[in-house]
Amino acid sequence: MYIPEADFEQLIRTLSEARSRATELAASIGARLGTEHRLAKLAYAASLKVENMLREVRFSATQNPDTGGGLAELQDALQTETQPVTPTPINSSVGMPTGVQTMSSFAAQAGLESEHWVSLFVEDLTSQLRASGGITFEVAERLLQQRKDDFLRDFLVARRMYRTYPHLFPESHGQMGRAEGHTISQ
Amino acid sequence: MIIDARELNELTRRATQLMSETADVPRVLRNRLGAEHHLAQAAEAMQGSIEDFVRELRCFDISAQPIVADIFEES
Repeated sequence: MYIPEADFEQLIRTLSEARSRATELAASIGARLGTEHRLAKLAYAASLKVENMLREVRFSATQNPDTGGGLAELQDALQTETQPVTPTPINSSVGMPTGVQTMSSFAAQAGLESEHWVSLFVEDLTSQLRASGGITFEVAERLLQQRKDDFLRDFLVARRMYRTYPHLFPESHGQMGRAEGHTISQ
Repeated sequence: MIIDARELNELTRRATQLMSETADVPRVLRNRLGAEHHLAQAAEAMQGSIEDFVRELRCFDISAQPIVADIFEES
C-alpha cells in the first residue's frame, strides 16, 4: 500500500490551508475568550492535531518510493540551503511607510528573480503590512509556510512534467541529467 | 473580551469550512493505507478534534458570557 505523489500533493495542500485556518481560529477565540476557555482549548487542540498531521504527511511524502527521493532531497535543500538574509537596517524613528519601502527595495537589492520565493515572501509581507497596518509573528510564519508549500508543489509539478514530457525540455534535458544527485538550488 | 452574535456566526462559518475541507483526509488515507495505519488513525483523530471544536462552537451560548464593564465607559 502506498500513496501516489498526486495524493500527497493534495493532502499537503489541504492540510496546509487547514493549518492556517485552524491557527487563525484558535488565535481569534483565544483573544476573545482567553486561552483557558474550553472553546479556546478545543480550538488549540484541533490546530495542533492539524499541525501534527501535516508534519507526518510531509515526512511520509519524503519516504514514499513514488517520489523517488526527490522530496527528501528537496526537504534537505529547504533545511540546509536556506541562507539567512541580513536585512537593511530600518530606522525605528521612521514611520511604517518607509519601513514598507525598505522591505520592498530589499528584495530588489538582493538581486533575486522576481519569482524567487524570497521575493514573493517579501511581497506577501509588505502586502500584509499595507492591508492591516501591522504584522504578527504568527502571520509571518503562516506566509512563509505558504511559500514553502507553494515551492514544494511547484517542484513536484515541474518534476512530473519533466519526466512525463521530456521532449518539451530539450535544452535543459542534458543539463538536468548531469545535475541529478546534486542538491536542489532554491 | 466577549464574542457577539456576528463574530460567533463568522467563527462558526470558518470552523465549519475547516471541517468540510479536511473531511476527505481520513478517507483518502484509510483507502490508501488501511484503517490500521497510524497516519489514517491520526487523520481520524484530527477530524474528531475538529468536529468536537465545531460542535462546541455551535452550542456556545452568547448570553452565558460574563458581563464585563467596558473600561472606556468608566472614564
